[in-house]
Amino acid sequence: MDEPPVLELRGITKQFPGVLANDHIDFDLRRGEVHALLGENGAGKSTLMSILYGLYTADSGQILLNGKPVSITSPKHAIELGIGMVHQHFMLIPVMTVTENIVLANEPVHLGVLLDESAAEKRVADVAKTFSFAVDPHARIQDITVGQQQRVEIMKALYRNADIVILDEPTAVLTPQEAAELFEILRTLTREGISIIFITHKLNEVLEIADRITVLRRGKQVETIPREGATEAGLARAMVGREVLLRVDKKPGQPGELLLKVEDLSVHDDRGLEAVRDVTFDVRAGEIVGIAGVDGNGQSELIDALTGLRKVTGGRISVGGQDLTHASARQALDAGMGHIPEDRQRRGLVLDFNLAENLALHDYGKEPFSRFGWLNPRRWLQWAGGLLKEFDVRGGGPATRGASLSGGNQQKVVIAREVSRDPSVLVAAQPTRGLDVGAIEFVHRRLVEQRDAGKAVLLVSLELEEILSLSDRILVLYEGRIVAEFPPDVSEEEVGIAMTGAGRGVEAA
Amino acid sequence: MSAMQYAARVREKWAGNVIIARVGLALGLFAFVVALPPFNAPVWVPVFVGFLAFAAGIWVLSRGMRRPGWTAIGFGIVGIGLGVLATRASTSNIDQVVVWSALLSATLVWATPLTYAAIGGLFCERSGIVNIGLEGMMLAGAFFAALGADKFGNWEMGLVCAAAAGAGFAAVHAVMCINLRADQVVSGFAINFLALGLTGYFFIDIYGENGTPGDLPRIPDVNINFLGSVFGHLNLMIWVSFALLIVAHITLFHTPVGLRIRSVGEHPRAADTVGISVYGTRYAAVILSGILAALGGAYLSIGYLGSFSENMTAGRGYIALAAVIFGNWRPFGAFAAALLFGGSTALSFRLQQPWPAPSVLFQALPYVLTLIAVAGVIGRSVPPAAAGRPYVKQ
Amino acid sequence: MSDPGLPPGSAPTPQAPLGSDPEAYAPSVAGQLAFYQRAGGIITPLLTAVVAFLAGGLVVLSTGHNPLRTYKAIFEGAGLNWFFHFGNYHIDLPFTNHHIWFWWNTDTNLTAAYNLTQTLLTTTPLILTGLAVAFAFRCGLFNIGGQGQYLVGAIVGVYVGSRFTDMAHLPHVIFGLTAAALAGALWGSIAGFLKATVGAHEVITTIMLNWIAYWGGSYLFGRGGPLQNHANKAVPISDDVAPGAKLAAIWGNPHLQALHSGIFVALGALVVFYIVLNRTTLGYEVRAVGFNPEAARYGGISVARNFIIAMAISGLFAGLAGGLDILGWQFRLGVLDVQVSNIGFIGIAVALLGRNTAVGVGLAALLFGGLLTGTSTRSLDPNIFPPQLAGNLALMIQALVLLFVGADLLILYIWQARKKVRMPGLSRAADEAA
Repeated sequence: MDEPPVLELRGITKQFPGVLANDHIDFDLRRGEVHALLGENGAGKSTLMSILYGLYTADSGQILLNGKPVSITSPKHAIELGIGMVHQHFMLIPVMTVTENIVLANEPVHLGVLLDESAAEKRVADVAKTFSFAVDPHARIQDITVGQQQRVEIMKALYRNADIVILDEPTAVLTPQEAAELFEILRTLTREGISIIFITHKLNEVLEIADRITVLRRGKQVETIPREGATEAGLARAMVGREVLLRVDKKPGQPGELLLKVEDLSVHDDRGLEAVRDVTFDVRAGEIVGIAGVDGNGQSELIDALTGLRKVTGGRISVGGQDLTHASARQALDAGMGHIPEDRQRRGLVLDFNLAENLALHDYGKEPFSRFGWLNPRRWLQWAGGLLKEFDVRGGGPATRGASLSGGNQQKVVIAREVSRDPSVLVAAQPTRGLDVGAIEFVHRRLVEQRDAGKAVLLVSLELEEILSLSDRILVLYEGRIVAEFPPDVSEEEVGIAMTGAGRGVEAA
Repeated sequence: MSAMQYAARVREKWAGNVIIARVGLALGLFAFVVALPPFNAPVWVPVFVGFLAFAAGIWVLSRGMRRPGWTAIGFGIVGIGLGVLATRASTSNIDQVVVWSALLSATLVWATPLTYAAIGGLFCERSGIVNIGLEGMMLAGAFFAALGADKFGNWEMGLVCAAAAGAGFAAVHAVMCINLRADQVVSGFAINFLALGLTGYFFIDIYGENGTPGDLPRIPDVNINFLGSVFGHLNLMIWVSFALLIVAHITLFHTPVGLRIRSVGEHPRAADTVGISVYGTRYAAVILSGILAALGGAYLSIGYLGSFSENMTAGRGYIALAAVIFGNWRPFGAFAAALLFGGSTALSFRLQQPWPAPSVLFQALPYVLTLIAVAGVIGRSVPPAAAGRPYVKQ
Repeated sequence: MSDPGLPPGSAPTPQAPLGSDPEAYAPSVAGQLAFYQRAGGIITPLLTAVVAFLAGGLVVLSTGHNPLRTYKAIFEGAGLNWFFHFGNYHIDLPFTNHHIWFWWNTDTNLTAAYNLTQTLLTTTPLILTGLAVAFAFRCGLFNIGGQGQYLVGAIVGVYVGSRFTDMAHLPHVIFGLTAAALAGALWGSIAGFLKATVGAHEVITTIMLNWIAYWGGSYLFGRGGPLQNHANKAVPISDDVAPGAKLAAIWGNPHLQALHSGIFVALGALVVFYIVLNRTTLGYEVRAVGFNPEAARYGGISVARNFIIAMAISGLFAGLAGGLDILGWQFRLGVLDVQVSNIGFIGIAVALLGRNTAVGVGLAALLFGGLLTGTSTRSLDPNIFPPQLAGNLALMIQALVLLFVGADLLILYIWQARKKVRMPGLSRAADEAA
């Protein structure tokens, strides 16, 4: 084919405060192809597509549609140019029907003012027939399945005559059967001449559906290759990269008694779907167990269940022999569970409190912080001052507001609080997210320290290097299940493959 | 409210509403029973109980359950009728109350300002902006209608002035809520105080001790004699309110404009991504609500009473807000609730003579009913999903 | 073709693209106001008040009156000019025949002194209704129900005050005030309970409860009502408070509405407010929930329990205000009083202007107390400015204060504080990219 690519992005660069999201990225899309955009979280995929869809403007670079340079100013403009986007989090209105959602802002009218409902239904039915969708036009979005909702999102784009359809992590919310149906739909679309950009981090899917694959890592384009000849291992390496590992010096672990025991744990997410399925594992005193996995595979729900913040729908949790399956957060904390939450600003700290108040967040009701409900601020400040010094928290003292500290120091405060409570089990969720190298080092050192002091440490992280360098045992969580267990000297590729569900394939309907 | 809770409550809601429907039926029956021995209740009791049956019926109807809703209302009517008949023999006071035609006209009169304000408030909330300031906009309309009619000599200009005043106050609210992202409740309250102070100030300054002139141009009644005593002499504004009701319903549910307004109120970001102007839509809805609430107030001053006095709306704007909630943010629901609450007020005035205590009860009824409604102890009241949260355009 | 399907109703959470939840980044009401306080300190509320008065002055000017003379008259009507006349005077010590030297003339036959007593009389309940709103705000709740809670307190206060006449003075007073406060707490906790259990929005529930209290009071004291006074059945008013239950007058002539000891209770309440919030575990929990309910939950704090407690304490303050007014100077409650009263509503403006702090509420209450007294028929010289107009002017100024508090963003922009202080949530793109 010698026709120019239907879409071309040249040298796209986008800087946000503190992070270079896209660094001179080149990307092109041929007519009728499925081009996968692969990369880890934070690699820059979503930013690139938001620029294409008119939500952001690139700092530099060019966009060419069918060979002609364009400047995309808004989603409305992008739609007019024939670019349609199916967002990861659907832009659908739950209380309205399928038809209403599809025709919104492009409604057929009757007598100039009235909504021509039958015409709308007919048009929707036409689109459905052309692309072989089966969907009930009268159903409300809140009543149909997620797979069907996604189809409605796709139809929104098709209804507006999109030539290019961008799908952002479309299978993140689908069951394996629904994913297979989606791929069928994509094949139909390409047969009709529509070009597709498929954003994902799942290797197995990419190999199944893509014609070409572009890998992004940390804002840069790593490679663009055709599907023939691509291997999971090669792609995993490109995604994850060979970097200098921050391997912490540590003695080999000496696991002792069983402190955290999880049996057949099942937990539902906010939508009522199973997020954690029959998970069983233990953590012993004096060991660090790392749970690796891509975001969205049940980690948050698992942690919430362990720390008493989410209801458990099946299975048991016990800490030091005590059954905590249905414990509240306070009960879990009192029973010896320590929790470094994954979002320090939303969940770990009350930013408007000063550091002393934050350090007392769990135990403010007990001695020596208070007696009979009466706070003892002087003792508080003294104790807090000592703790801050011990944990080398910079940027302020006990009376400084939490919000004034840098991210790294905020995390130090959270860790100081948890560690000083002397828990028997310490659950750390993404403890080094957004931190600089020095802070990361500090956090890692502390975790190893805790492990050497005989605590059971459960580390849940999206950073594979971190898991590899810290853990004594590595578990991989995929779609709510523990799918693999590895010793600490496993290769990155092997773990990476397990993390992305490769080797399992997509189950046929 | 997260989607999970929303989803769970959809389930709950249906079960709860069925209970309410059945309670409504039971109340209708009870209205009749309570007038018989051994209860022998005075006549206002069957009326009150039947009223509650109406409330239950309207509630359920507004949430989409036709048959149970109409049945409850039907039972309520029958219950009241039979109950009143049963008490007829024992007291002569009933004649003061149960002059049905007068009561019905009074209901329509009291309900009309509520209807205007409620429909306005409905559009505003449907677009995602909470409007507590309906009271102030109504009061402003009442005053400026009187002022305009007086200075220009005709009621048409009175209405125009009222609409302009309502739009003005609404514009302040809109700027506060949409551009400055202020708290919508605080802004609404401020509008109420501002209108109260402004109208009082200029009323005293211009009209002083004597009040508005006695010959203020008034909105005419529409005389269609063959329609009988209730509908034969209704004010023009009341007829317009019926038309408004139908137009509002069609607009909201059967036109693109209505679809877009609703989308902005449910999921503004989704609407934004298909190219709808969230800010523009919200501005339009807020200003519309101001105009309509002001027209409701205008009816009070130059339509019904023929004069203006300080704070003459006396909390009707809040009742209108309650009607919107009770009627599930639908025009016909809000209208039915307005009739219910208007009827409650009308009844309370009728009952003042023989029974002062129950009369106050009927005044409080709209608020009690709405409290129960909002508490969602049985059944649920679900506002537009994005109402109350400022939208930040990226 | 059958979909394995999910149960109906499980829709995905509508969220912004790039995975961030817009609701989570919106700071709580308490957090927002705390931010404004830090960013603007005392300057922003001062500026807000000044701008509101300026705007009011424009309205005065537009109707042909002189704003400067008007404001001066209001100032004098509030008695605030009393502070400017120094001299050699004395105060009589209670229970003795001695007096001590004082540099201001406390004789309430002097107009300024009398006006000041009236201002302080109004400031007393305003402090409490302001604290009521402020406490709820600190927990992230918007308590509009101060008026209803005040009324309920007043009703119970007048009931207790007019019965139990064989109780000694001090126990009777304490009983009355306590009952009033508890009644208000109960009224407030209804809204808190509904919020904690079913998530009912406290704005709507408190508005409805206000009106229910309004009509309840009208019923109770109306003609034929159960609490109507026994002496004269033609007047819709309650029984009088027994002389033994009246609060002691501390300044002025008791027959001419003197300032009563309730002001000490109000000032004490300011201290209690500060102490509870900053020195007790309860206050710690309330503040945590107000700033970040999510983190509070992660710390083991029960958000629902704190909602109920905060609304109850809030109602307690407002109910106490009602009790103080009844036992301090009103001594009876009529249907007209119930229907005309709006002290609870002004408390909202007091709390917002005072940025929900003890000192702020105290000062704002004084400002509004002065404004209300200075514009009242009794105190304002009608030759300079008609009091009926002035009353409406006061309303407008209150409204403008509310509006400008809401538009703090605007004032901050003007002050260029935006550059120095950045609040999480205002810049979405940067947060998301991080």
